[in-house]
Amino acid sequence: MEKKSALGNSLKAAELLAKIGEELAFVLPEQDAGLLPINRFVMDLEELAAGNVPSGWAAGLKAARGWLDQVLDGEGKFTVENICHFNEWHAYMSCVLDAGPGGEGIPPWPAAWNHNLSVPTKTSPATVPTAKAAPAADEPAIRLNLADDLEMLREFHSESVELLQNIEQGVLVLETNPADATTINSIFRAFHTFKGGAGILHLDAMRDLAHELESLLDSVRSSELRITSEIISLILAGADALTQITNAISDQLQGVNPGAAIVVPTRQIIRSAKAALRGEPTSSVTPLPPPAPATVPSQPANVQPPPAQPPATVMVAPVTQPTGRTEPEKPSKLTPSAKSPTPENEPPRERTVGNPVAGFVKLDTAKLDSLVDLVGELVIAQSMVVQNPDVQNINSLQLARHLRQLSRITTDLQRNAMSLRMVPIRGAFHKMTRLVRDLSAQQQKQVHLVFEGEETELDRNIVEKLGDPLIHMIRNSVDHGIESPAERTAQGKSPQGTIRLSASHQRGGIVIRISDDGRGLNRDRIHTKGLERGLVKAEAELSESEIFSLIFLPGFSTAEKVSDLSGRGVGMDVVRRNIENLRGKIEIQSVLGQGTTFTILLPLTLAIIDGMLVGIGSDRYIIPTLSIRESFRPRPGMVTMIQGRGEVVSVRGRQTPLLRLGHHLGRPSKAVNPEDGIIVVVESGDAARGLLVDELIGKQEVVIKSLGQTFQNQNLLAGSAVLGDGWVGLILDVDTLVKMPSHQKPTATPNTKANL
Amino acid sequence: MTSTSPTSNPSLAKAGRYLTFSLGAESYGLPVLNVREIIRLCPITPVPRMPEHIKGVINLRGTVIAVLDLRAKFQLAAVAYSERTCIIVVQIPIPSGGRTLMGAIVDAVEEVVQLNEADIEATPNFGGSPDTQFILGLATLRGGVKTLLNIEKIFLEDGPITIPQNLMPEKGTN
Repeated sequence: MEKKSALGNSLKAAELLAKIGEELAFVLPEQDAGLLPINRFVMDLEELAAGNVPSGWAAGLKAARGWLDQVLDGEGKFTVENICHFNEWHAYMSCVLDAGPGGEGIPPWPAAWNHNLSVPTKTSPATVPTAKAAPAADEPAIRLNLADDLEMLREFHSESVELLQNIEQGVLVLETNPADATTINSIFRAFHTFKGGAGILHLDAMRDLAHELESLLDSVRSSELRITSEIISLILAGADALTQITNAISDQLQGVNPGAAIVVPTRQIIRSAKAALRGEPTSSVTPLPPPAPATVPSQPANVQPPPAQPPATVMVAPVTQPTGRTEPEKPSKLTPSAKSPTPENEPPRERTVGNPVAGFVKLDTAKLDSLVDLVGELVIAQSMVVQNPDVQNINSLQLARHLRQLSRITTDLQRNAMSLRMVPIRGAFHKMTRLVRDLSAQQQKQVHLVFEGEETELDRNIVEKLGDPLIHMIRNSVDHGIESPAERTAQGKSPQGTIRLSASHQRGGIVIRISDDGRGLNRDRIHTKGLERGLVKAEAELSESEIFSLIFLPGFSTAEKVSDLSGRGVGMDVVRRNIENLRGKIEIQSVLGQGTTFTILLPLTLAIIDGMLVGIGSDRYIIPTLSIRESFRPRPGMVTMIQGRGEVVSVRGRQTPLLRLGHHLGRPSKAVNPEDGIIVVVESGDAARGLLVDELIGKQEVVIKSLGQTFQNQNLLAGSAVLGDGWVGLILDVDTLVKMPSHQKPTATPNTKANL
Repeated sequence: MTSTSPTSNPSLAKAGRYLTFSLGAESYGLPVLNVREIIRLCPITPVPRMPEHIKGVINLRGTVIAVLDLRAKFQLAAVAYSERTCIIVVQIPIPSGGRTLMGAIVDAVEEVVQLNEADIEATPNFGGSPDTQFILGLATLRGGVKTLLNIEKIFLEDGPITIPQNLMPEKGTN
């Protein structure tokens, strides 16, 4: 009981922990993949755990924070040792979360962790070069790797602009109310996030500065240090320096002097921050004046910032050096804007300082959802008016015209509202660039990643959730699909393998294809392995696609790792589960020696589904069209009773178990004989089942509504929707219906008469 | 339904405005702060395989809300719905955070009354048997006794519950 209140929302914590676990599965030594997400999740956990928590939990978080900071402050890469720690940590924290209120079940605190704990963040500035009386000349320069990190830099930039605004607003609050803990915390977090982002992009000067300021604020936060006007000035000076760097990054992103070094003096601020941390009076640091236009173009090469800068004050003009000096970056085909600015990337003639990406409004998704909901209601209300018999009896051309206009406007409005949630899939695709680059370098393979249809738009929520499955599949393609250059040459292929990632609209949904020209799936080996693992019966005759889909079964890929089909412990079953959670489907085509194609079918949005409205007695239910394989009126003799398996319907020689939906739901049904009704064959994963309903009413697009708290403990219904006549229709959860054992007699509690 | 109630039940009800309604001859009160609106009985989509007292869901201007029959929930005899039957839509906080709307079918809504502390008395002890955790207190108003309900507890309890019936002289269900 007390634990519940202590851990705040333990469900949320468990979810975050699970996410960290997923990320950990991908972490590799000497790589930074996953570092930022893990950092973010740990930060969320820390926020969640504010207050009174079990000691193991708090200590665990502290340990994780220590290691993360070490990684972030250091090279920004994981090591074998800390990956090991993180994995142990994940297991430990899961135990703490599951443990009883008395703490039973919590494993002992691993002794190996204490060592790391004794190195708290603040005393680890070993990576920050100790400041000698350095002249401004050795101010560290920042170089952007535009060719490789373009997408990440864009993200980092837009995030930075926001963080800087937070910091600035925070400082304003602090000036009037220096003790405001919430504000100090938010500034602290902003610098912390900055540090993480800069670290992963190897923007060392930025990272070091953010780190120092973060440490300073941490002391303030833990009341070791009292906030003074000097500290506030320091924060402002730091934020200004970060702003200048951010602006310079923005310029380069827009094609101004791409690749030039960015030099913004930070040493002095860092020195002052260190002094402040030690409690010494800081040398006076004046906040920078508002940043001048961020770049100084066409300066001769090798010009250092003016060395005559007095060391005690912070220098003003940020200097970006021209391209002449940069090491020639190999122009990458994947990032065209890096080598030659595309027209819209051309240096803009004028721009608002600090906010180059104008024209966007950030808004709460909840507001967006409610807008979309309301528009949906409007469309329904509109059709209720138009279809109203009284209205239809009015013989007026003018009214008819007005009604038509109303319909047109509401339809347009709906389309517009829906489009608000849509974003291009580009972002999700481009994240793969980095993954492919890292993986292929690590495995000495040559892989060329090609994108097609990255403009294709789909629901924001789907794009977000698509990241993980894409990572799995791309990884799978590089690890197991694409052969080594030698092997490829031997087979007469080009040494460079190609992975093609494409998206397109199709059948009212989105189709995403991941295809490689690698070795393809070995059908016989998969079959053999399926037999070994008892996933298929020896006598079962399987089609090729059925054999391929064996790799989606849980337990298929958790093998020792030797086979070229197995992944890294995270199997394709996870991919399929993720896709199905998005109400999508995944299919495989493969030709041995020529390559594999994964095809993912996804709905355009999670908010709307294409549904088939079916009638049972006086009730109506919605079955998602995507799950329907076919529907037909059975002929006599198609439905037979099989001992121990219940009723089955044979369709084209295949026997599919039949479920009388009305009976199963405990609702009266008109179709006593199967021939009186319609059989709808639905599928989920590999399983299919025929559902006997009274009638098909029609196809309809419906806006999905949650059923809420009262119905959260059932799995029969996936949600509900308001139908055209204002009634609520219930959306059946096909997955449950398909997986239900067929011989089980429903223990229905027949509802009393329908009440009107 | 644990009954670890102590021997004395301090009144949980606060002075304030209450909406009163009836189920048969019994009269009940709900804190007005919980009441979102009162709507006429409208078509309810039954949800299969749900307990008797959960009647189904309705569309409240685009939001789908669950509706339960308070008679069935309190294990009272069912009656035919009449002209006066209506749905009280209440807003209650849910354990996982946030709020939810739910509808309760009642025989008839009476009025909104202002109750002062003097009008409210603690729930009498029933020897622990019918649970008193769902009752905030009792209010005597113009000779009648109104049972003030803890609607949040009632709606978050999944199963049917028993509300003591003999709190007023005339008793019975019709």
